[in-house]
Amino acid sequence: MKSGIKTLVLVLMILLISTALFAGGQSEEGVKPIKLGGVWPLADITGEQGSKSAQLAVDEINAAGGLLGRPVELIVIDSEFKPEKGAAAIDRLATIENVDVFLGGMSSGVHLGQIPTLKKYKKVTVWTGAASGRAEEAMGPDAAWYFHLHPWDYNQGASYVEGWEAIGAKYPDLATAKWFMAYEEGAFGTASFNNWVELWGDNGIVEGESFTSAAFGGGDYSAVLEHAKEANPDIFVWAGYAADALPMMEQTKAVGFEPKTYIGSPPGWPSDFGDSPLAENVMFYGMWTPEMNKINKISKHYYDAYVKKYKATPETYFAPLGYTAVYIIAEAIKRAGTVETEALIKALEATAYESPLGETITFGPSNIIQHQGIRRQKIIQWQNDKQEIIWPFEYKTSDPVYPFPSWNKR
Amino acid sequence: MIKYWKYILIAIILLLGVLFPFYAGAYQQSIARTVLIYLVLAISWDMLLRSGQLSFGMAGLFGIGSYASVLLLLRLGASPMLSILGAGLVAFVVAALLGILVLRLRAMYFAITTLAIGEIFRIIIRNWSSFTGGPEGAILPNIIFDGDPVLSYWLVLGLALLAIVLSVIFQKTRIYFALTAIRNNEVVAKSSGINIFKYLVIVFAITSALQGMAGGVFAQTYGFVTPESSFSADYILLPIAMALLGGIYGTLGPIIGTVLLGVLAEYLKLYIPYGHLIVYGIIIICIIMFMPQGIVGVVRSKIIRREVG
Repeated sequence: MKSGIKTLVLVLMILLISTALFAGGQSEEGVKPIKLGGVWPLADITGEQGSKSAQLAVDEINAAGGLLGRPVELIVIDSEFKPEKGAAAIDRLATIENVDVFLGGMSSGVHLGQIPTLKKYKKVTVWTGAASGRAEEAMGPDAAWYFHLHPWDYNQGASYVEGWEAIGAKYPDLATAKWFMAYEEGAFGTASFNNWVELWGDNGIVEGESFTSAAFGGGDYSAVLEHAKEANPDIFVWAGYAADALPMMEQTKAVGFEPKTYIGSPPGWPSDFGDSPLAENVMFYGMWTPEMNKINKISKHYYDAYVKKYKATPETYFAPLGYTAVYIIAEAIKRAGTVETEALIKALEATAYESPLGETITFGPSNIIQHQGIRRQKIIQWQNDKQEIIWPFEYKTSDPVYPFPSWNKR
Repeated sequence: MIKYWKYILIAIILLLGVLFPFYAGAYQQSIARTVLIYLVLAISWDMLLRSGQLSFGMAGLFGIGSYASVLLLLRLGASPMLSILGAGLVAFVVAALLGILVLRLRAMYFAITTLAIGEIFRIIIRNWSSFTGGPEGAILPNIIFDGDPVLSYWLVLGLALLAIVLSVIFQKTRIYFALTAIRNNEVVAKSSGINIFKYLVIVFAITSALQGMAGGVFAQTYGFVTPESSFSADYILLPIAMALLGGIYGTLGPIIGTVLLGVLAEYLKLYIPYGHLIVYGIIIICIIMFMPQGIVGVVRSKIIRREVG
């Protein structure tokens, strides 16, 4: 009997403590802060640096007196790259932390799982990640409270075509007629390839073959690279993840494949990729590089402040994107004079934010949603361990180096 | 008297579980749904393990169930509830057919074969774009119960209770004794007239149906499927870790392990946002190293020692 009572008490205590543990929330002493709730995958460089950059922006805003006479607080929760965890994070931010605005985001798969929960609360949301058109489809046309910063996959594809046509016209020796794309077999790589064929197919020859990314247990690209070599394209591009970057270069060298132009298209690079001699003159797509500091004072301010605060350099465009999201929200709150949803939506619609990414960000309709922000990626090239912007020409920090240098001349 | 307290305890826990949405918020319900899904996977994995067969097929059967549920709704217009039952049926049939082919294998040979289930179906789904949505997956026009969190919670709770009841029944029927006999000594079991193959196929198919229904519930709750997320290795590794922590070869162990690890993961995340996964991993490794028999095993051996002493 004694052991029965003990077990009963123990189980009840576990249940009560489990419930109480998550009932946290902040005390409401003094002036009530304006709360921003961020969800990122914190174990990934995109989420780690994106959330830290958002905190940097919040610190700057608070140092300048806050918003509407109130301090700003950023509450960050890890999505762990899992849809159910990302959705639970939104629930916590909405019901326990009582945030005024949601922000953050990386990964279409996680976002797909969060969308039903976001729709439940209909709070103003400024999202920095998710490129898959499936996510846009799931969000639908009625979500006036949803502001999406990252370009959708079809925006990206269209901007690449625009960029390569412009580069082809400006640098006629840089041939762009025949393409070969090696793409990881998941949603990201396959969507990249399909978009590319759809957008570029009429203007050039596009071939492609899939591989299993090193991020998902793959890492042997030799068969794909041999086929690419046989195809002898003007431009070779691989769409995979950071884990593929260095092995892909090593194996390209090993099979003796020397395309005239070499493009890598991961969402983020390994932090030491530029240190490798194999990286020299590889081109890639992105929204920002540290070289933006040469031509954009907001970028320089952001970069210096990040380095000062975190003693590390921002390595991914998701970092300034997190910073940008906070400032877009802050400016809208100032314009609206409130955090009330309807007024804030109207204020966000009037956004014209000069961002560290170069462009002045405004919102307008995309294929489905009402408020799409950025629509273009940039074409960038590794040159002497720096990430020089090649296109759009208004942000150009260097001319392209081509053809891609031979492996034995590095 | 002990029996008396046992039933009171079960009734209180059941009541607390059913009434959970009335004293816990949306976030706690969301976490509880996830924990209960993993509970179904952990218990169903353990049920087959009791026969000595180690399966790594949970992710595959979870993914098959997820897709079956979404495609039954999208392509055949089935209701969400019917599509979840359909998901269980599809997983049952797949497992029964596969079981007939591979359940003569033992140990690692069987384990590796079950691991391949997920990979084979993931490849088919990824390449059959016109039907499955391909690598980008498919989305539902509406989530189940129009997103009502209380009903969604009760649905997952119902599935978890079904898994628990089946697991308990297994322990009280001749199937359990047959399974235990198979695990302890297959040759002796055979010579005692136990139809090993039949029992293994039955258990494999039933536990797979539970895993398929868990996938169906998950897909209907979050409104989407993709090959990567629906066939994620998390659905293999976490349930196994949870069952090992609580203690294998029984119903109570996986329940305790799942609740503890599920709650611990969230607790750590809130207090160590940038390093919780490392701490979580270290805790799992330490527990498995120093408590290989799990919590239930440790408690049981202490009780036995005290009674003997």
